[in-house]
Amino acid sequence: MTITLWHFLAVAAALFGIGLVGFLTRRNLITMFLCAEMMLQGVAINFVAFARYHANLHGQVFVLFILAVAACEAGIALALFLNLYRRRRSLDTSDWQELRETGVPAATDDDPLPRPPADPMPVLTPAGARPAPTAEEAARV
Amino acid sequence: MTLFALTKTQEAGGSVALAAVLAAVGVFLLLPRPRGRFVPGGIAALIAAAAVLGAWLCTTFGNPLPDAIGSALFWFFSAGALVFGTVLVVQRNPARGAIAFAFVVLSTCGLFLLLAAPFLMAATIIIYAGAIIVTFLFVLMLSQAEGPSDENDRVREPLYGSFAGFAFVGLVLFTLYQTSQANVPAEPGQTKPDGRLPAPVLTAEERKVLADAVAKLDAPEANLDGDLGTATARAKRAEYFEEIKFAVAKVVGESRATSTDGSLRARLEKEPARDGKPAVLYRDDPQARDALDRARRVRDANFDSALDDLSGPNPEPARAKLKAQVRKLRDEVALLYGMGELPADNVRNLGLVLYSEHLLAIELAGTLLLVAVIGAIAVAHRKQDKGAAK
Repeated sequence: MTITLWHFLAVAAALFGIGLVGFLTRRNLITMFLCAEMMLQGVAINFVAFARYHANLHGQVFVLFILAVAACEAGIALALFLNLYRRRRSLDTSDWQELRETGVPAATDDDPLPRPPADPMPVLTPAGARPAPTAEEAARV
Repeated sequence: MTLFALTKTQEAGGSVALAAVLAAVGVFLLLPRPRGRFVPGGIAALIAAAAVLGAWLCTTFGNPLPDAIGSALFWFFSAGALVFGTVLVVQRNPARGAIAFAFVVLSTCGLFLLLAAPFLMAATIIIYAGAIIVTFLFVLMLSQAEGPSDENDRVREPLYGSFAGFAFVGLVLFTLYQTSQANVPAEPGQTKPDGRLPAPVLTAEERKVLADAVAKLDAPEANLDGDLGTATARAKRAEYFEEIKFAVAKVVGESRATSTDGSLRARLEKEPARDGKPAVLYRDDPQARDALDRARRVRDANFDSALDDLSGPNPEPARAKLKAQVRKLRDEVALLYGMGELPADNVRNLGLVLYSEHLLAIELAGTLLLVAVIGAIAVAHRKQDKGAAK
């Protein structure tokens, strides 16, 4: 027995689900966009597998349309990202949570982010011999 | 599994649910957060989920050992797609996420090749390479400087999100299992549909005949144009097309009821039943059904009366009719020829299907692209601040 249609469908479903998890949980707009594209890839695998199974090309034609729609989506999404970034200087979706429905409590981040490690102070390598203080120098200080 | 005496459906449901829960736990552990990220545990849970899923696929839909190279490539590409997809989801750095997405696209393109879609592979790589480069530009322009940030190091509802996603996958897989007939016991004397990707329906000789016919029909002008005055000129042209006609008819049969079937129908169709029942297909896969459907269309498009008219007293209208018929027959034969083995003439067949059967959809897609471009410009346009100008 060889690879069957169901193998491809199962992989496509798993890819779609991983993309769905990423889209639901991540907060970076760009990562969410890539996860949505990954869901589209899963759907495309489904279409091509069915095209191969039925031995006609309609499934592949549908994938071409998916590509066109993905291109449109990318253009508009990136334009929106630019606009949103100009207003809040951040790609975080939670910055826009005042757009939520009424009655839904606001999401708060209780856990403080760990502070980035501070840059260590510069250390100069000792060069040459340390001058021995003379008697009159000590008196001057 | 004898301990609980589970039915096959319960076993399948249990495997799928176990894989889904393991994957959800793994992704939950791996999703970025300020503290408490348990990377080894998450990776172990994901590997366990993949193992359970792979074992279930093997036992349910068959162990794909005989076609060693094809199955090795399939497992390689699908594992690549899933692993890099997971990396994209759990990666803090969006630039690295974009690289992981590039590998997801490459693996998907490998699967496309296995599924006999070379043109789509090329198109996907080209388009998504551009998309990924643009995404990179955006990451470089917009991402903050070093250090943890809200958008990269926090996630929204990681537990609920991962369980929702993988519960969805589990349900889809379980539905797949239920519809795949893998759980239905085979009745004696009846082959059950197993979802196997079917072998090509056309033999090598038939493919050669059809390819010759397409090549001859591609250049009909030399044989159609020119002087039709003399009887020998007409006879010569008629002979050229008669030859094609009989070659095609040898494969697909003739449209006249009295004539014999072509080799394709003789091989694929069984004898029709006596008491008026429809003919039973010899090969019970959708590809055979599609091939017979295509063959019927070729049969209908084959030269019928125009050839006789060409030798008749009024050749000019017959010539125009013959030209239209040649074009139609050429398209149909090319589509049937492409069925023999899908990668053969993938681009030509895709173009034929695209511009003959999906023309309206193409126009709509073009309109959609135009609207998207205009919309993107309108959205990204920086509006003049009139209040500040005063």
